[in-house]
Amino acid sequence: MAEMWINMGPQHPMTHGLWNLRVKVDGETIVDAEPEVGYLHRGIEKICEGLTYPQIIPITDRLCYGSSLTWSHLYCQSVEDLMGVEVPERAEYIRVMAIEMQRIASHLMWLAAYAGDLGMSVGFTYTMRDREVFVDLLQALTGSRLTYNYPRIGGVAHDLPPNFDRDSIRAVDYMEGRLKEYEDLFEGSKIFMMRNVGIGLLRKEDALNLGVTGPSLRASGVSYDLRKDMPYSVYPEMDFEVATLDDGDCYARYRVRMDEMWESCKIVRQALQKMPKGRWRMVSPRNAPAGTGLGRVEDPRGEAVMYVVGDGSDKPYRLKIRSPIFVTVSAAPKILVGYKLADVVAIMGGLDMCIGENDR
Amino acid sequence: MEAVSIEKAPSRIGENPEQRVLRALAESFPKTVSDGARLRPGLVRAKVDRSDIFRVCRVLKDNLGFEHLTMISAVEYDDRFEIVYHIASYQSKLLLELISTTPKDDPTVDSISSIWGGANWQERESYDLMGIVFRSHPKLERILLPKDVLYHPLRKDFKG
Repeated sequence: MAEMWINMGPQHPMTHGLWNLRVKVDGETIVDAEPEVGYLHRGIEKICEGLTYPQIIPITDRLCYGSSLTWSHLYCQSVEDLMGVEVPERAEYIRVMAIEMQRIASHLMWLAAYAGDLGMSVGFTYTMRDREVFVDLLQALTGSRLTYNYPRIGGVAHDLPPNFDRDSIRAVDYMEGRLKEYEDLFEGSKIFMMRNVGIGLLRKEDALNLGVTGPSLRASGVSYDLRKDMPYSVYPEMDFEVATLDDGDCYARYRVRMDEMWESCKIVRQALQKMPKGRWRMVSPRNAPAGTGLGRVEDPRGEAVMYVVGDGSDKPYRLKIRSPIFVTVSAAPKILVGYKLADVVAIMGGLDMCIGENDR
Repeated sequence: MEAVSIEKAPSRIGENPEQRVLRALAESFPKTVSDGARLRPGLVRAKVDRSDIFRVCRVLKDNLGFEHLTMISAVEYDDRFEIVYHIASYQSKLLLELISTTPKDDPTVDSISSIWGGANWQERESYDLMGIVFRSHPKLERILLPKDVLYHPLRKDFKG
């Protein structure tokens, strides 16, 4: 049969944002694929060169609408490394707690989109409703619902609001009950399992070679999580497991993210319990010295890195952002080849694509 | 290309992973790797001559256990371009910052995408936004900007 190229995107329901996946098919079988990105390129790295250090924090929130708090935290962490600013311990605990809530919210949004992709409207409505619990908590903490603008260079913007501990523990308790229900809902669905188990195999060697990070890497049998292996902030104080599976298929990627939500619930509890009293923000200098700063964190989608170069002024000379999904999606051809066209939705959905950070 | 011939660098007693990597690099490439330093636990920096970047990366992956290329960043200074490679080792929990310099009028460097497939798109991004040319890259095309754009926006002489 004659081979042909099919454009899935930029306006395909699968894409969740503007990007294009070109697939070459022979009948129903995929023989080649090529992602095309860049539709949402806003030049954030260039914009940042014209802004002062504190002005950049809200810009970095716009990198990913799904997990904006991780990105502004990463930015603050890399600038603190450049300036040599010490962060008070209470602020570190607040950050870790907020990031883990953000991770749960981000994974829930992924699960909602994934369920929608695979035709489970019930999964979509349930997960979006429960994501609301954590978005409400983050709203109480930061004042916004999507782009939080909460971390500051040298701490966080404000202390916890009244009764925040109580509300968070309630939310986490509720979430743990719901997670059990999701597992029954998804894994009890024959269609969901048929579209996931054994689909989209990514071997360990390929995952390592192609720079895949985050849940997709851990689903391929590499137990590597920056929170555990290169700990930053107060993660060394936290007791949690790194979710790892050896199968490397779509189901393993789903399962790793589910397990991560369980672990995040544990971390939120511990952070609230161990949080000391004290200051939550230090004064940071206006100008950064000449030199470089590096921040490296575990984003919900993988390894996020920022490399900031200072030149002694109050604006960064260069800010380089490593987006985890940008590298992960370049591995898509390797995963897709050999499967059917109908599997594209499950495979690409399982990678948790976020265009904002991908195109920057 | 001549074959790389160094033994797998064994650890010496009392040596931490950072020192081991720096020593192995200095011993294998005495002329081209310089200024090795340990910045903080788990983070090492070294400078490498751009003519040797491919061989250094080959040794890093095959002999020293650096299996993950984290990031390639290009930085423009008044007199040079710096291409900064962040390469991670999952086994020994290290991050190596490898800095290579090119002159302003010849921003070319060897592609390492045949060593780490993850470098492919990152090199295309550096080409697209900063105009660094990676020799023997399989497909050096613009990735974020449209194909008919004539400028490299992250250069300092580009003013919107």
